[in-house]
Amino acid sequence: MTTVAGREPLSILADSSAGLSQILSALKAFEEAGSCTREVTLGLSSNATVDLLGVFLRKHAALDGLRLTIHLGGLDDPSGDIEIFRACGVEYTLLLPLFDSLIPSFEAQIGRLSPEAVASKEAEVAARYRLIFSQAGTFRAVFVGTFHRIRESAEPGAPDDVDASIARLNRALREAADGFPNIRIIDLGEVVTAVGHAAAFDMRFYFRNRAPYSTAFLNELARRIVVASRGFASYFYKALVVDCDNTLWGGAIGEDLLNGIKLSPHEYPGNIFWEVQNELATLKRRGVLLCLCSKNNPADTDEVFACHPDTVLRDDDFILKKVNWADKASNLSEIAAELNIGVESLVFLDDSAFECGAVRAELPTVRTIQVPAVLSQYPQVVVGIKELFLAGGLDEQSRSKTEQYRLRAAAEEHKQHFASTDEYLASLNLRVKLSRDAVDSASRLSELTRKSNQFNLTTRRYTDSDMLALLESAEVTVYSLAVSDMFGNSGITGVAVLRWSGETAEVEAFLLSCRVIGRGIEFAIWPMILRDAAARGCTRFVASFSPSSKNAQVAGFWDKFGLSPRISDDLSPTATDDAVRRYSAPIDRVSCPPTSWIEVISC
Amino acid sequence: MLNEATLRQVMSAVLNVAPSAIEQNSSMDTIGTWDSLRHLHLILAIEDEFKVSIPDDEAGNITSYALIKLVLQDLLKDA
Repeated sequence: MTTVAGREPLSILADSSAGLSQILSALKAFEEAGSCTREVTLGLSSNATVDLLGVFLRKHAALDGLRLTIHLGGLDDPSGDIEIFRACGVEYTLLLPLFDSLIPSFEAQIGRLSPEAVASKEAEVAARYRLIFSQAGTFRAVFVGTFHRIRESAEPGAPDDVDASIARLNRALREAADGFPNIRIIDLGEVVTAVGHAAAFDMRFYFRNRAPYSTAFLNELARRIVVASRGFASYFYKALVVDCDNTLWGGAIGEDLLNGIKLSPHEYPGNIFWEVQNELATLKRRGVLLCLCSKNNPADTDEVFACHPDTVLRDDDFILKKVNWADKASNLSEIAAELNIGVESLVFLDDSAFECGAVRAELPTVRTIQVPAVLSQYPQVVVGIKELFLAGGLDEQSRSKTEQYRLRAAAEEHKQHFASTDEYLASLNLRVKLSRDAVDSASRLSELTRKSNQFNLTTRRYTDSDMLALLESAEVTVYSLAVSDMFGNSGITGVAVLRWSGETAEVEAFLLSCRVIGRGIEFAIWPMILRDAAARGCTRFVASFSPSSKNAQVAGFWDKFGLSPRISDDLSPTATDDAVRRYSAPIDRVSCPPTSWIEVISC
Repeated sequence: MLNEATLRQVMSAVLNVAPSAIEQNSSMDTIGTWDSLRHLHLILAIEDEFKVSIPDDEAGNITSYALIKLVLQDLLKDA
């Protein structure tokens, strides 16, 4: 890649002390080098001048390997901007309404305006955003900044007219956004607090150019938006793998022993590690899969989690533990394999520069984070880790995921007591609840389509609004399945999208969470779906397999129904691995593999 | 002391022109990309680079290379 004054563009962009002109030069070099993994488009609409935000958004996108193209809207025309963004196929939109510019110097005017005049302005703004949100369904996500003040209150401690009006408007914004799953509210007041009020604004250019924000504010806002979008959907982390010594406690358990390691909430530096353990325990409760990967004797680390008086994390907080002397990259690969997720879903936290370097070299898609050398900065680094998992939003069902994975682990153990797999399966009391068009679960269903990689026949990703449209369409039935067995209820763990057109029933998508595969559930639901198809007068069954880098395990899925593939886009009889396999057969010729041990309940 | 090569580099990065295009008599009138919005970016970039704070009165008005140089020399004379 071209360097800028002898430095790699990305290292300049990652350097928080780089000035604006260096950032601009580095961005130019990065974008011209063409080494980005993906291109993303974002429309930016505001009633203030925020063009410079585009530079910082591009900077943070570049750090995630993306080339971001910004479409700038006109000044104070969100409805018009949305229309233009939609017409040119923009994927993401960012709306930043500034309170003070709703009418000229609103903050200064409000004290002399009648309550009725203020109320009518507020009502107009709320109505405008309700309308905008209803027209914004085609965007993958619409980020909306909340209203905030740019001048500090003269009456600290008591909310004034400005605070009251801003609070009402923000409530109205959130209410308007309710029911539109692609609208994401970004709290700009929190950005002001994070940067500091005095540092957040640069009034020199506000009166001249309506540009109120400082570069510090714009940089922090851009960073938060990119994190909240999970790097514009370039990552979706599921598991956090942590080292032990000097990561979960100070010192080395093998050398300092149980009484020597630092973990006291009342003493430095134990209090830092204790705080970090609390944060990790919270993450686990929010559905993040917590794993251990440490070069130690397992008995030593077990003793800490069982016996240390100050340990917050306990043995059962970890879904998997790799405490051994093998190299960490191999352990991380095993963790990913055992959890049935890709290594790119892992975040790895370790204090050793050597271990972090080795993992970065061998598994570059793992997000590797090193405990900072200056220990007081450690909690801030953990805040960054929390953002990686939480800032993109979490679905209710994702929260108890550790429990579900644990049920699966318990099932593995149960399996070992049976002579044959069939005998084992029969003992599980497997039940599948098959629902049609479960509108209430729309966001969980679309989340599943975005997260499932391995058991996914067509790897079609649906946004929340795509999914809502499918659920409401008469030509499509979205089947969702929930599995329960003697170990518990897995929640919604599979989706099949069937498109009915005339006499044809076509499987547009079929995917299962890896947590439920290997028990015949993937076959058990089809007799009922085929009955639905027949009842609709369909006589032909059409399905396909589109290969991705992750779904090789289901390449022959439809063959198991007695169907033979036609390889598309390939005239030679020798099928290449990357060709789409298409299946088409009379419905009565589709024979579902037997799954007598599963009870399917339709609802 | 003002390093003019650095100033030219900053201006070239922000205004998206070659460093050689920045001359002693360059101004908003001679460089097409130098509009009022870029000017704002330019002031912020110059402040970042030279670690100075350009006073409000001057920030909006120093719309030529010569004027920027004058103000910067003044701000940097004690540094």
